[in-house]
Amino acid sequence: MPQVKMETKGLNAWYGRRQALFDVSLDVPDGEVTAIIGPSGCGKTTFLRCLNRMHEETPGARTEGTILLDGENLGRQNVVQVRCRVGMVFQKPTPFPHMSIYDNVAAGLRLLGVRGRGELDRGVVEALQLAGLWDEVEENIDAAGTSLSGGQQQRLCIARALAVRPEVLLMDEPCSSLDPIATDKIEKLVQGLKRRVTIVIVTHNLAQATRVSDATAFFYLGKLVEVGSTHQMFESPREKLTENYVTGRFG
Amino acid sequence: MVPPSPPARSAAGAPAPGGEEGAAPSVRPSRWAVLTWLGRVFHGLTLAVTIGVVGLVAAFAYFLFAGAWQSIAYFGLGFLTSDTWDGVHNIYGAGPAIAGTLITSALALVIAVPIALGVAIFLSELAPAFLRRPLIYVVDLSAAVPSVVYGFWAYIVLVPLMRMSIEPALSSFAGGHSPIGQPGTGYDIFTATIVLAVMIIPTIAAISREALRAVPRIQREAALGLGATRWESTRLGVLRSARSGIAAAVILGLGRALGETIAVTMVIGNIYILPGTLFSAGSTLASWIVDNFTEATPGIQRSAVIELAVILLAITVAVNVIARLLLRRMAEREAGGSSTRRRLRTTHAHTGLASGTGTGPVDPAAPGVGNREAVASRFAARLRTRQAVQWTFVVVASLCVVAAIAPFASVLYTAAQYGGSEVIRPSFYTAVAPLGCNPAPGVTCQAGGIGPYLQGSLIMLGLAALISVPVGLLGGIYLSEYGRNRFGRAVSFLADVMTGVPTVILAVFVFALFLYFDHFAALSAISGGFALGVLMLPITIRSSEEAFRSVSPALRESALALGFPKHRVTVRIVLGSSRSAVVTGLLLAASRAAGDTATVLLCAGGSTLWFQGLNTPTGSIPVFIYDNFGSNYANLQAAAWGAALVLLAIMLAIGLGARLAVRSKYDPTQAV
Ligand SMILES: Nc1ncnc2c1ncn2[C@@H]1O[C@H](COP(=O)(O)OP(=O)(O)OP(=O)(O)O)[C@@H](O)[C@H]1O
Ligand SMILES: [Mg+2]
Repeated sequence: MPQVKMETKGLNAWYGRRQALFDVSLDVPDGEVTAIIGPSGCGKTTFLRCLNRMHEETPGARTEGTILLDGENLGRQNVVQVRCRVGMVFQKPTPFPHMSIYDNVAAGLRLLGVRGRGELDRGVVEALQLAGLWDEVEENIDAAGTSLSGGQQQRLCIARALAVRPEVLLMDEPCSSLDPIATDKIEKLVQGLKRRVTIVIVTHNLAQATRVSDATAFFYLGKLVEVGSTHQMFESPREKLTENYVTGRFG
Repeated sequence: MVPPSPPARSAAGAPAPGGEEGAAPSVRPSRWAVLTWLGRVFHGLTLAVTIGVVGLVAAFAYFLFAGAWQSIAYFGLGFLTSDTWDGVHNIYGAGPAIAGTLITSALALVIAVPIALGVAIFLSELAPAFLRRPLIYVVDLSAAVPSVVYGFWAYIVLVPLMRMSIEPALSSFAGGHSPIGQPGTGYDIFTATIVLAVMIIPTIAAISREALRAVPRIQREAALGLGATRWESTRLGVLRSARSGIAAAVILGLGRALGETIAVTMVIGNIYILPGTLFSAGSTLASWIVDNFTEATPGIQRSAVIELAVILLAITVAVNVIARLLLRRMAEREAGGSSTRRRLRTTHAHTGLASGTGTGPVDPAAPGVGNREAVASRFAARLRTRQAVQWTFVVVASLCVVAAIAPFASVLYTAAQYGGSEVIRPSFYTAVAPLGCNPAPGVTCQAGGIGPYLQGSLIMLGLAALISVPVGLLGGIYLSEYGRNRFGRAVSFLADVMTGVPTVILAVFVFALFLYFDHFAALSAISGGFALGVLMLPITIRSSEEAFRSVSPALRESALALGFPKHRVTVRIVLGSSRSAVVTGLLLAASRAAGDTATVLLCAGGSTLWFQGLNTPTGSIPVFIYDNFGSNYANLQAAAWGAALVLLAIMLAIGLGARLAVRSKYDPTQAV
């Protein structure tokens, strides 16, 4: 078994009075891809947003329970640092408008105080290569980030997140607004990246989960129903609920 | 033969098939023909009204230029720079007024923009939920306080403060040198600047806040997710995206400062010299117009005053044009040049990074940012600075909020302090103004009231409503229902521009118009009411257009599909379901008119008597305040404060009621 990178213990989350997560305890293995699946509204996004403390940015939202990163309590750490270590890619591509491709990728590095041109350039090129975007944008690196196609924008956001060398990358349905070819590129990317960064990916697409992930967690109505290796989850789930879901009987 | 009714299920407003058309006049018209005819009449009526509004704007431009022509022809371009205003030898120039206008507005903008942005950012990014709503109300309401009330407050509170403490302190700090200068009387360029800043902060803050709110939340989160602090996420994700909206807000604020009239007139000292220092008295275009228009002798002198109005109009329009060009350039601008690309090629070659594999062999232990330990140590080194910046950001933004609402609080407090005992006395609303008197042993001062002024205000507002409500509604219907074409958009734009025209210019126009037709006195209730109507008109048109547009297309279509002709859909469905938004827009327009001083001062003059007739000079509440703000008599000052409190109460009631009823997107109190 690989080491545990992140771990939640008895995690509960609320939006105002409404509870969205119930007592979720889940281990995220290091250097692997963990997929989160479940029907709409079951709390996948909420769970993901707890992992880099983004949940607390929602007005009226709060959490209870502990989240550990390398065994350290997330709640005790500086929130800015947490988000440097745990990067995030959103459902819709979110390049900063009015910023060039270069500046988009450099944004996180600049926040860290990287000013030297050579260092910035190296970081940007590296990140764009990791995201498999370099060849496509090399010639127009000064164009606006929003001038790219949807799939390219999403990879730009991945590059932006990767530039600060996060230890964990959270991805919330990163392909839901993309066409099959762009989706394929991102899936390949995810698999290639797991050597460097632990990935947690939310997906509605069960086939995608089987293609990219090593472990899969199934959420239902805010509770974690079952978690295990992807193979086991899709071939021989322990819970009836999981079986119904992965065989497409509901959801 | 009565022709058979065609199917009612038809796109309403479309002309009936030819057969019925021709048959209708010769025989008893069928119900269908009547409906078609009605629809056309309705369309024609709204179009005619809209064309009438355009005609009014054309007349506006014509009368101003015609009135100024004598002066323009006589003095030529030298008028712009000459600093003389000599009524004996009839030599006039605009230099001091132009200089005063530009200096006060520019300085006011310098003060107001940072504070207003701080307020907008606090309201949109930082305020805790329980503070946000109330603060937004307060900021919006302080944008609606009438100019004459701000001027009165400045006269009582600000001028002494300037004279006694702020100006001596600033002056000694600067060593008495130009451009600060020796401390003055408090009636000077600097005080006027501060008043202007106070007045435009809420305007700029309210519109900037809307611009910030319009930035999607996901963009803030994208920055936060990258490890940005609140300040960094505001800078990266929000401010950049909102900058065209913020620029628009700043420019609207500038427009308001340039045209602001009464409050400036009350504190700037109104002498016609080129201001040498910050603490010297001066005048602005608007203040000089107000001070000289009514007394100007017909002929070259009056023409010169009207030319000042033309100049002010030109400046306000120019500001808008520049703003629009700027906004367009901003939108079109592409990011960066090609320098980065060239540089990166070299970097690329030197580092020898594999390209295109997507997961190229990047050594995780290599030095530089790629290395995790390096990132961590960098992070630690920078964190303290970043957090200090974040805290400074929060503190500064909060201070901006305090700075922005303190004057409003002071206005309310001062008005309540001096006028509070007046307004709770019923006779205040029914009695004529008291004779001036100061309390002394053995002297009992008469209390008096503002009865005739209240009456005059109501009569003129009634006249204004008579003009602006029907015209505004019909124009609004045309623009939203029929005018989705170039003409309609142009009229909308024109109306927007007209809401930005300083009211003192409207007053000069109405005065000139009445003089020309010479049917009613130019200084009368009817002239004042007409001026207020002209003031309200663009607001009522645009706010009702917006209200009608907000009616859902599904609702219209379902009514059309039921066979309602278009004009009945408009009257029944559109008017019916947007009623409260329309009424709100009308009330907000009325509240602007109720507090406006320049129009009634120049067009209705003043009178201490009860209403004497539509064709005679008539007093009003703002004019009562303006006439008595500097009074030496305690009872008259108290009455003026009572009047100010009445105006404030009207603003607060309408403003709060309107905001509670509907959060209208088009809010005229925020424009100029
Ligand atoms: N901002 C919010 N305010 C209040 N309730 C929310 C908010 N966001 C989510 N919820 C509620 O929390 C629950 C979990 O939502 P969440 O977005 O985590 O679901 P999800 O599994 O990501 O769904 P989907 O697959 O549709 O994205 C839902 O019932 C939702 O209604
Ligand atoms: Mg979701």
